[in-house]
Amino acid sequence: MNRALQTVCTRLFTRPLLNLSSSSILPSTAVGINFIPCAWIRREKLTDQQMRLRYKKLHWHKFYDDKWVQRRGGGWDEKITPENVSFMQEMVYETYANKDSPLKDGPWQRGKFTIDPETIRTGVLGLKLGTLPQWDKRGRKFYVTLVQIIDNHVINYTPPEMINFRTLFTTRPLRRDLHGKVGMLVVGALSCDPRKFTRGYNGLFEQAGVPPKRKLTRFFITPNSAIKPGTPLYATHFRCGDYVDVQARSIDYGFQGVMRRYGFRGGPSDKYGSTKFHRKRGTIGSGRKHKVLPGTRMPGFMGNKLVMMKGLKIWRINTKYNVLYLMGPSVPGPNHGYIRIQDSTLYERKKMFTETNHPPFPTYYPDDNKSKSLDEELFADDIYRFDQPTLTLDDIQVAPLTAPRTAAKTAQKKK
Amino acid sequence: MALSFSTTNKFLLNNQQILRSVLILSVRYKQRGHIADHLVEHHRQSALGKLKNGAAVDAFPPKDDTTKDLRTTPHDFKYVYPDFLPNPIPYLRDRILEKLERKDMFRRRQQIDIPEFYVGSILAVTSADPYAPNRRHRFVGICIQRERHGLKHQFTLRNIVDGLGVEISYELYNPTITKIEVLKLERRLDENLAYLRDAPPEYCTFPFDMEPVKLPPGAGVPLNTIQVPITSTHWQYKWERHDLKGILLPSLPRSVRKAAERFGEPWRQWDIMRQYRTEIHDDDKAEIYEDIEKHKEDLAQYRIDSKENVKITRARPKAAGRKAILDNSNRSNMSTSK
Repeated sequence: MNRALQTVCTRLFTRPLLNLSSSSILPSTAVGINFIPCAWIRREKLTDQQMRLRYKKLHWHKFYDDKWVQRRGGGWDEKITPENVSFMQEMVYETYANKDSPLKDGPWQRGKFTIDPETIRTGVLGLKLGTLPQWDKRGRKFYVTLVQIIDNHVINYTPPEMINFRTLFTTRPLRRDLHGKVGMLVVGALSCDPRKFTRGYNGLFEQAGVPPKRKLTRFFITPNSAIKPGTPLYATHFRCGDYVDVQARSIDYGFQGVMRRYGFRGGPSDKYGSTKFHRKRGTIGSGRKHKVLPGTRMPGFMGNKLVMMKGLKIWRINTKYNVLYLMGPSVPGPNHGYIRIQDSTLYERKKMFTETNHPPFPTYYPDDNKSKSLDEELFADDIYRFDQPTLTLDDIQVAPLTAPRTAAKTAQKKK
Repeated sequence: MALSFSTTNKFLLNNQQILRSVLILSVRYKQRGHIADHLVEHHRQSALGKLKNGAAVDAFPPKDDTTKDLRTTPHDFKYVYPDFLPNPIPYLRDRILEKLERKDMFRRRQQIDIPEFYVGSILAVTSADPYAPNRRHRFVGICIQRERHGLKHQFTLRNIVDGLGVEISYELYNPTITKIEVLKLERRLDENLAYLRDAPPEYCTFPFDMEPVKLPPGAGVPLNTIQVPITSTHWQYKWERHDLKGILLPSLPRSVRKAAERFGEPWRQWDIMRQYRTEIHDDDKAEIYEDIEKHKEDLAQYRIDSKENVKITRARPKAAGRKAILDNSNRSNMSTSK
């Protein structure tokens, strides 16, 4: 897309422009090859269907991606005696216990949380546990999804100068105004035995001084929120009452027909004499165009692709188990699926952060709070806590059934 | 007969309600972006995860390998506390989720007394209603079903009010419920009394000012072996197919009776694997019951403490009163542990 824009721009500036009045709309047949109306260049926003066609081919059907560094190593039976196995496990534990933590010199200098050049904090990698019902102070029920943040560490930080955006954003575009201004943070979850992986993969974790992780993910952040590699991330990275965006791979339904995939209504059952039309799509043509339009909805593979949900509220945080309670039962993915959680990018929710009121920046460090210990459970303001007394709803005012009669109406009635 | 988790309406012929969940009986092998269940527990308890300034701090305390005396778990606790039973769909279960859910359930049980009741008992439920005259809505009815597990546990009460059958479904842990009284504690021959909708109205009419029926202490829960006749011309479901003990069916045509025999799947009584799948594992039972016992001790202590606080405000505390309270708490502990 960069290339196309470049050629368009060069053409614009080398050929003379025609006079365009703002009200007139020039017909496409009247122009030559060299004329490109300004509207085309500005209209970078693609329609939903065009976006879907462009970005739908994600490489989800491969079992694991060895594009970057080969991950899986070992796996064959090395015929080690049980005593040696336990010895090896102890050795592995000791290497990482005795390793000098990169944090012994203290964390990096903290940046300042700024609003005008906007600040983007890291996200966190969690595991979806399941759903529970909760109630608010008015007695209304809603469902929450529990997400546990197990064993997160920052692995690597790349400053903005060293990032090549052309190679990175081939499947999902990042905002154009952030190109060149964001650094990249790699976060890993779930520590594992290094014997499971190759040497190359284990080398990624040298700088951080942590055991190799099962799952890695990257977050693009502004340079002022950089975190030193080796720092652990907790659930208290977020606050109760804040809003988050969540990305995960949705549940795989396999090859599905049009009724389940797109919610088509299908046809009647056999009771009404319907001949061979129960769950079909129906017509695929459109009458005039002698082809099937790209993007026509047909049976195919459903699910098992990255889905994003925006603006989920955090109702509760459990600091003992590092669990977040997110609004809604429909966080994508199956149980025990990976979830990327970041601060919300919705406009109204970003406005809620100010210089003084913002979540722990760049992340939550337990040393900050050494004077007073953290509560085991943190709650948002409007959630009902189960150790509070029963909700009696006595303070809720209900509008009367009949509206009070105004003076004008009384006068009219008297006439 | 194994305990049936009635999460779905099993009277529907085609199981229409559970189509979607049938498709997702388990995670597809091609699903990416998740880890296996046993690996989750492994990572929560792994030593490597606990390094580096508490990355996986105290995620789950290590289990003692001492063999638990499983006879301490009473055999009928799954009937007394059906809301504590785990999710019947195994791949949706998670240990931390259940632990946190049970914590909330116990906290709620300290605020309100949730008594023991069964399908067939007559309950009176008072809930907070901003639209009612006294801001309280009281409903009396017979419990016809108890569904779902955990915090979502629901029970349905049925009664006939002014000639119209009314069923209200309450969530057991809804914070707007102020009081649950058991007016008559008894059991019936079936787990689901939906057939009362097709029965004559006198079988589900209960006066709202009904007096509670007191059982002698130490008595078990009485079983009501009443056989309810199905007199309605149009039945909601085909009652003859579901092996219901508590109904009196009218004479049916031969074809209907034959179809009912086939539907019942008479070979299921020898299906050991199905019985195994529907029963709860002993480890789970023990863990759940441990938490319940601990909660009961806390509750008893809480009750004594709160009553003592009341005593302290009085001018002259009565010795007889204090003794009566202690006796009561002992008796309640004894009867609930039976």
